[in-house]
Amino acid sequence: MATTRSGAAQRPNGAPQTKVCQFKLVLLGESAVGKSSLVLRFVKGQFHEYQESTIGAAFLTQTLCLDDTTVKFEIWDTAGQERYHSLAPMYYRGAQAAIVVYDITNQDTFGRAKNWVKELQRQASPSIVIALAGNKSDLAAKRMVEFEEAQAYADENGLLFMETSAKTAMNVNDIFLAIANKLPKSESAGGGAAGGARRLNDADAPRASSCCK
Amino acid sequence: MNEEALLARASEERERIFQRYERGRENLAGQIDPWEDPEFEDYHKTDRYGFIHDERLTQKTAPQKVNVEVEREKKWVKMLGSWESATTKEKLHRRIYKGIPNSLRIKIWCKLLNVNTIKSDNPGKFQEMLKLAKQWSTDVRQIDSDVNRQFREHQFYRERYSEKQCSLFNVLCAYSMYNSEVGYCQGMSGLAGVLLMYMDEEDAFWALAILLSDKKYAMHGLYVEGFPKLTRFLEHHDKILIKFMPKLKHHFDKFGLDAILYSLKWFFVCFVERVPFSLCLRVWDIYLLDGERVITAMAYTILKLHKKAIMKLNDMDLIVNFIQVKLHKDFGFEDDIVIYHLERSMEELKRAKLDYPGPPPPSEMPQRQLGLFVEPDKKSKIGQRAENFSETEKHARATVILRREKAALELQELRVSQSDTVSVLCSDHSGVASGVRCEDSTSALGSRRSLADTSVTSTADLSVFSSGRSHAPDNSLDTHSNISDDGTGSDGSGICGLSIQRAPSTSHSTPRATPHPPSVSPQSEDVVRIHVTYNPLAASPSHLQPVSPSKYKAYDEHHKPMSLGFYTNGAANLPSDNRIRIQVSSEELLTPVVDSGRIITQRYIESHAGIYDIN
Repeated sequence: MATTRSGAAQRPNGAPQTKVCQFKLVLLGESAVGKSSLVLRFVKGQFHEYQESTIGAAFLTQTLCLDDTTVKFEIWDTAGQERYHSLAPMYYRGAQAAIVVYDITNQDTFGRAKNWVKELQRQASPSIVIALAGNKSDLAAKRMVEFEEAQAYADENGLLFMETSAKTAMNVNDIFLAIANKLPKSESAGGGAAGGARRLNDADAPRASSCCK
Repeated sequence: MNEEALLARASEERERIFQRYERGRENLAGQIDPWEDPEFEDYHKTDRYGFIHDERLTQKTAPQKVNVEVEREKKWVKMLGSWESATTKEKLHRRIYKGIPNSLRIKIWCKLLNVNTIKSDNPGKFQEMLKLAKQWSTDVRQIDSDVNRQFREHQFYRERYSEKQCSLFNVLCAYSMYNSEVGYCQGMSGLAGVLLMYMDEEDAFWALAILLSDKKYAMHGLYVEGFPKLTRFLEHHDKILIKFMPKLKHHFDKFGLDAILYSLKWFFVCFVERVPFSLCLRVWDIYLLDGERVITAMAYTILKLHKKAIMKLNDMDLIVNFIQVKLHKDFGFEDDIVIYHLERSMEELKRAKLDYPGPPPPSEMPQRQLGLFVEPDKKSKIGQRAENFSETEKHARATVILRREKAALELQELRVSQSDTVSVLCSDHSGVASGVRCEDSTSALGSRRSLADTSVTSTADLSVFSSGRSHAPDNSLDTHSNISDDGTGSDGSGICGLSIQRAPSTSHSTPRATPHPPSVSPQSEDVVRIHVTYNPLAASPSHLQPVSPSKYKAYDEHHKPMSLGFYTNGAANLPSDNRIRIQVSSEELLTPVVDSGRIITQRYIESHAGIYDIN
């Protein structure tokens, strides 16, 4: 039934063209760690030293091509200030992926990132793919969070982990790519994934793929 | 680190940040990080408002326009001389809608805001607050990081620790002490940043104070924890869209585009960085004169003027980009024309009694006395975040999500009625997780059944959403279920739908004019949808447990199955919120209001826009 939804819905019995998967991804993290900058780098290849502070949340999309699949990310970039925290669940509900960002030059932001991970593990979909990004790796001289410390934490919690720099573009595409690779893209694998409106719309059309259209 | 060390660290940090602003750019030579400062560059042009543009400005001011402004200035200067006179009062409105001459904005804005009065009533207050902030403010770090990125393309704010950057820092720090409920909230740097383009530090501080706490502007409710005014204004905005631009509203809904996603800055910072700055100033002129209804009307005007263009965009990304980025760069209409339409919109909304969402309730106004020192608690001193949401925040979260769910529900209904088939409604967008406990579903089934049996008008399509705990007896409208109890099993496929037997009432349904696919059950024009819910938002998504319809599909082949979508919510912690929502899609329909399986009233519900709660 759900033929009027966003994007090119594939009819259940229509011939599949290139497989296109759409995923909702949310960015979380303390204020000024570079969430918006990571998105801007990934989506537009740009970097602004004085990226305006995000009020509420921003929304962008970017498409990545994997071998046999096109992955379209719907990216929700959230505001970092605590006051806006109460709006965050609205953005991560139904997200299939999250990037939790901290600033490698600031230990507090790492602590805050851990809290976000905890909250996601508790509140978001159980199958959400979480990546941890230690941003501002270009400021390694001012490093306060050791790579190994973060790596160990990520391993313990089953997170993808990379140190990134939105400024130099280091690892920015890579982290999104790693997420895309980790996300289930086939019908069967997608079964346990967080349901988006799309999937549920397909409830009466069981042959429609779950995450892909 | 122990608590003491953390406190000491926080206080050192605050002092360090403060010191840098106190010393200012001149005295920080060699101490400003290269990344904090713009590189030396040749730039082409600074516009008349101070913004630096990399390229030659395309917008030229025609000489006759300059003449007009010079003529206007003369009139304004004269008017300033007799501000309190009757002629001024008579002419003010018209002249402000024509635009305040830029050179006189500083004076007129201060007059409109009554800055001088509040300033002279509170001598020394600003300095006192600033001093307190230096010792106590817990928002210094956030303010510092936002000052570093506010209007950096403006000549005043371009250089790190420039005079105006320091002023911006001071105004925000002082205000964070003055209004201890709001403190500092992101967005306020935009407001103060604009004010400081025209005013000095102290005037800007008082202007900000008035914008937040004067009833005419009441921005306090926007920035305070839980954003109550934002919610209220967004709801009102939706009402306007439904009434005047239902197609556009549907277009937004189709892409899951809630107003909160495109309009936040409209409300929070009065269109700063969402429309070109020249137009933004014109709107501010009028806002300062006429207050908050201007925001509502301008939001409507923007969408009205660009409706056609937006309707052509078939992607949430494109729509958001158009409204937020494109319109900021180039609004596509001259300022005067926009203001003309803004004025018409205000009249139009007034006629429809939709110009004003009403005065702020007490919760949106400062509760504590302003300017009174309140020592922050240890947690906020250290900068620790709260572990849990406060009640206000929970409420805000619930309201915001409810809005989205409602929009999604309406959209689903529309789809259902358009597609002429009985479909599984789903509530999703909220990310219903997999895993099922069907005991939760029984009450939903029961409700569905009883409603089907008791509807007076035909029920071609009943969709029940239940998020209640089945073991709560008051949630169960009817414990008889059409569906056998083995429905309690689950395969956890993540789909929350159930098939259910069509109610006998369909026998007197009237056929629709439109042809039906053969598989479709008899239809009637009347569509009643019942939404039974505990507060579904109080629970985390992990509690939402969908049920697969597959098990029920086999049930009774002789009856055409009707699907029923719902989700359950095991953790609803607000039993008082157990309410029945009845939503009617047809505009002229006698709707039975059903409680506990009995019809308690029939009432005419005038539009599908409303959701009626019966507690």
